[in-house]
Amino acid sequence: MTTQRDRSRIQEALTVGRSRHAAEAPRRPLGLAPTGLLILGAIYCLLPVSWVLVSATKSPGELFTLSTFQPGTGLFSNLESLNAYRGGVFWLWMLNTLIYAGGGALLSTLVSAVSGFALAKYRFPGRNLIFNILIGGILVPAVVLAIPQYLLFSKLGLADTYWAVLLPQILHPYSIYLARIYAAAAIPDSLLEAGRIDGATEFRLLRRVALPLMIPGMVTIFLFQFVAIWNNFLLPFIMLGDDHKFPLTVGLYTLLAAGANQPSLYNLIITGALLSIIPLIALFLTMQRYWRTDLSSGAVK
Amino acid sequence: MPSKRGAAPYVFLAPAVTLFTLFLAVPIGYTVYLSLRRTKVKGLGLGKGAKTEIFVGWDNLKTAVTDPELWHGWERVVGYGALVLVVMLGFALLFALLLDSAHVRLSRFSRISIFLPYAVPGVVASLLWGFLYLPGMTPIGGIDFLSPTAVTYSMANIAVWGGTGFNMLVLYTNLRAIPQEYYEAARMDGAGELEIAFRIKIPILTPAIILTTVFSIIATIQVFTEPTTLRPFSNTISSTWSPLMKVYRDAFVTGDLYSAAATSLVIAAISLVLSFGFLRVVRGRAFGES
Amino acid sequence: MVTKRLAVAVALTAALATACGSGGSGGSAASAPASSAAAPSAAEKVELTYWNWVPNMDKIVEVWNQAHPDIHVTSSKQAGGDDAAAKFLTAAKAGNPPDLVQAEYQMLPSFVAAEAVADLTPSAGGLKSQFGDGLWSLVTLGTDALYGVPQDSGPMMLYYRADLFKKYGVDVPTTWDEFAAAARTIHKADPKSYLTNFSSKDPGWFAGLSQQAGASWWGINGDAWKVAVNDDPTKKVADFWGGLVKEGVISTTASFTPEWNKALADGKLLAWTSAIWAPGVLSSNAPKTAGKWEIAALPQWNAGENASGFWGGSAVAVSAASKHQDAAVKFLTWLNTDPAATKLLVDQGAIYPAATAAQGALSTAPEFFSNLPDFWQKAASFGAGARGFTFGPDVNVTYNAYKDAMDKAVAAKSSFSDAVTSMQDATVADMQKAGFTLAQ
Repeated sequence: MTTQRDRSRIQEALTVGRSRHAAEAPRRPLGLAPTGLLILGAIYCLLPVSWVLVSATKSPGELFTLSTFQPGTGLFSNLESLNAYRGGVFWLWMLNTLIYAGGGALLSTLVSAVSGFALAKYRFPGRNLIFNILIGGILVPAVVLAIPQYLLFSKLGLADTYWAVLLPQILHPYSIYLARIYAAAAIPDSLLEAGRIDGATEFRLLRRVALPLMIPGMVTIFLFQFVAIWNNFLLPFIMLGDDHKFPLTVGLYTLLAAGANQPSLYNLIITGALLSIIPLIALFLTMQRYWRTDLSSGAVK
Repeated sequence: MPSKRGAAPYVFLAPAVTLFTLFLAVPIGYTVYLSLRRTKVKGLGLGKGAKTEIFVGWDNLKTAVTDPELWHGWERVVGYGALVLVVMLGFALLFALLLDSAHVRLSRFSRISIFLPYAVPGVVASLLWGFLYLPGMTPIGGIDFLSPTAVTYSMANIAVWGGTGFNMLVLYTNLRAIPQEYYEAARMDGAGELEIAFRIKIPILTPAIILTTVFSIIATIQVFTEPTTLRPFSNTISSTWSPLMKVYRDAFVTGDLYSAAATSLVIAAISLVLSFGFLRVVRGRAFGES
Repeated sequence: MVTKRLAVAVALTAALATACGSGGSGGSAASAPASSAAAPSAAEKVELTYWNWVPNMDKIVEVWNQAHPDIHVTSSKQAGGDDAAAKFLTAAKAGNPPDLVQAEYQMLPSFVAAEAVADLTPSAGGLKSQFGDGLWSLVTLGTDALYGVPQDSGPMMLYYRADLFKKYGVDVPTTWDEFAAAARTIHKADPKSYLTNFSSKDPGWFAGLSQQAGASWWGINGDAWKVAVNDDPTKKVADFWGGLVKEGVISTTASFTPEWNKALADGKLLAWTSAIWAPGVLSSNAPKTAGKWEIAALPQWNAGENASGFWGGSAVAVSAASKHQDAAVKFLTWLNTDPAATKLLVDQGAIYPAATAAQGALSTAPEFFSNLPDFWQKAASFGAGARGFTFGPDVNVTYNAYKDAMDKAVAAKSSFSDAVTSMQDATVADMQKAGFTLAQ
């Protein structure tokens, strides 16, 4: 695969094939089968989400008595009790999750972009070794790392702090991999060479040429990393003791565990689960453009 | 052509390498260290100084490799993983091809809906499905989703539900990047959509399919959240259902960090062999290097 | 203890001022436990962290904080159960534990074996007289040391739906034989209804039932542990429940699952062998059944006896690594023995207090049992014969083995006493591996 091909792909991707299907004349229609299959898939995927939506409207008494998809009358009282639960700690979890996911994803994107650029656009001794080792990190199960990470953070006095959750999630091998591929495709060598002839330093090239060209790819990496951290459970679960630092996943899990003895908490869990997926769904809908265009040029070469 | 520019690439890679060292290499080293040790207690084990840490060499690793519980865990995960890989990636490919074909209505709605589960944390997804599986609450009657035979399928369903959309999107966006000209010639020859899909689209997608397969293999080897969250709902999932659950149990429930460290090294080694082996075979294509 | 306390002028609400009566006298003086001579001055404010999962502990701690500007306690809510214990042990190992921790009685020996909790004999040994001997032995582990102060306790009894028993013409079973007969009658009358369930997820429940039968899973024999998880009483209990499961006359839904909640709420489960804290559970998961439940002593193995066991309950322990052990002891003494605090624990935390005086002070029946005005008196008499046993240093292994072995036995309808034997084997193997001395 040549750079020429890549560039045309980028171009293609950026202009998105919106117009292209319009130009196609349907030749041998398969009837409604494709649409039907996709709709079935969509219904399957929406089933649990609609369940949580309906269940969040059920009051504690209704949850185990009303039939599955029959709406209840308790939405506002559920929201109220969630709001009142331990002085509104749920909203604190939401805020913490935003800090972890937002901050972590931002730092991760920067580190990945700079590394990806270096790996894609320079030839230097050890390049493949460093790349393979970094990528190898993806093979290490999270549980394997979480225990020693916790013990080591404790020795530094950093366990049970925001740092303990933020720092280990900055390095993300898959993001580096994506950034490398994206940089290789999106940054023409000729531009870098031209800059060098003009006497620009490598750092300046990175800042002025490489990173601006990589922004669409970085948005994608940011989104993936944001979702990954938002959904992470194990690391914060092990690192944090103070429930005022919990993210949503761990907070909801403690609610679930407590729910065993106080089943009225199930309503809070379900309402909380619903609220916890709303921000991400909003992110999906508003950032759709980036989920699409940039994966096409960045996911796989 | 990438060029040689002195120290610059090393400087650019310094943050990643530093983070790798601090949060991956050192913890892994520490895991190796722990795996070679064990605590020994004297007498009742109560009171000060009754417990000492000793060096035991390969003992923990030997135990981990020969532990039948761990191998049963591997058996279960292989069955579960094969199911997930085939169904999830099959559906992802099917949906991606359907979305890319010209005759689909409501494609935007379908695409977003199928991708939506990706936004749901694993803990929450398992919780939602757990409720939906309960005989007293499920809208689909007549099936005991949590019976010993069904539970693997039920668990696989959660993974398929959560993962299909992501893989579909990766494949779909790759399809969108295929230049139109590729199809023109085929159309000239009178090829239909099915033929185009099989003769052009799928071959071009192969590297992407390989890559999604590798990542899915890694994810299924490390399956943990789904069975852990489903356990309270069912009598059929043991605390060592998957190898990773055994690590968690050893480390956090039975408080044996040393066995946990040894077992996790075994898991990491198996992941490494499987995935790196797979990657090596297809490396030229997946990484786009000559 | 109480007389040593100095009254401090603190801004308490009027209600609190009366609630905080000194000692058992019920006086109205605003007396609260305060700094003794050895305590740090107000300038050196002590910060304590407290891991627990008692409902509304925030509010209870706030009452303490209001009255004690010099010792500030932060309550941190944990997941509870195995997770919480595991997390505390890991934190202790890492040198990063909270000052105070909720410790279930069966987990305390693990905490002690890990040297994670402090010996409180010098500062809290004097509290012995305020607790029953059985509970006290759970925090001393039968040694001369003291590893925590009891907070709550769970003597077991039988909860049953009086209305449905009547409907099916079933008398309250007084022996386990009658219990089995009742199970058959009810399931025959309505195949969707069960007398009760066997829970393969609740080793603590099974331990309590074994205690009633006279089991003694662990014992200290000189300098060696004696392990007998598969002793005869336990096997008897296991086979009894295994038989009912095999017959299919009781449900095998695990307790505290959504499905179980639903069955209780729908009246498909008619009885629950549970502990004194059950009203809190029943009222929140089956609120509409309020007033329909009654209580009785656990069915007996020998007619005419009044034996019971303990399910649940916990102590408050102080970390060995805490820098403020004296302040921590002051707080936990107040929390678990001061009448005002134990009243808060009962009202806000929905627990059954461990302190003898606090148990006696319970008068108003739980709202859920307003049909039984003498709930507490009855409960106390049913629980009077509760016997516990010493817990070993690896209860978590045993309990985990229970869940795995019983899950399998329930699914395969195989021998429950074999499951108990595999619990014994797992326990012994773990203790041998760790190097504990075992008595033969």
